[in-house]
Amino acid sequence: MQLHVKLFAMLQEQLGDVITVSVQEQPTADQIKQAVADASPNLRQLIGTARLAVNQEFTTSGPLEVGSNDEIALIPPVSGG
Amino acid sequence: MYYLSISDSPIDVNALYQKLKDPQYGGIVTFIGTVRQWTGNIETRFIDYSAYHPMAERQLEKLAAPIEAKGARVVIAHRTGHLELTDEAVFVGVAAAHRGDAFRWCEYLIDTLKKEVPIWKKETDTDAVRWGD
Repeated sequence: MQLHVKLFAMLQEQLGDVITVSVQEQPTADQIKQAVADASPNLRQLIGTARLAVNQEFTTSGPLEVGSNDEIALIPPVSGG
Repeated sequence: MYYLSISDSPIDVNALYQKLKDPQYGGIVTFIGTVRQWTGNIETRFIDYSAYHPMAERQLEKLAAPIEAKGARVVIAHRTGHLELTDEAVFVGVAAAHRGDAFRWCEYLIDTLKKEVPIWKKETDTDAVRWGD
């Protein structure tokens, strides 16, 4: 299935507001990150350090019940404050 | 009730402080983060902050609610957009019955904000543009 992944900060600057990737059903966060990294190999290291959020909550490990209607975001290391 | 804000508008320190005053509290601790010029040999010119709305606000609520449940008051404001040197980037204030709790919770809030709230800084230095810390 296809997922639209929101991007922020340096990832957004490099890849745009949203990237669409293909993943298997019930993907893990790592599998979604891998799909984004495969589409943008020069940012693999940064994508590896990013966290995944589904519907504005950070994910935990394990398969995710996500579909095309869910809001999925890749959160690079935050730097507020 | 807590007050949380993430906005391009300048942080009004005095107005935020006033929100913390209340007869039930005897200690108010505030932390204000400002835009620093020098980090070692790196000279910063300005910083642009961005946030993931409304996840960032929701994360702030998750930080503030447990502290308020202990009887304190929490006020947090984070600036986004373009900030010049000395501009206030973040205000964290805790009012509690006694100073020990106020100090402890204020430090906890700013430390946790820096790890868990989706806000990013893009630092324009004299030699390069840097994302993050």
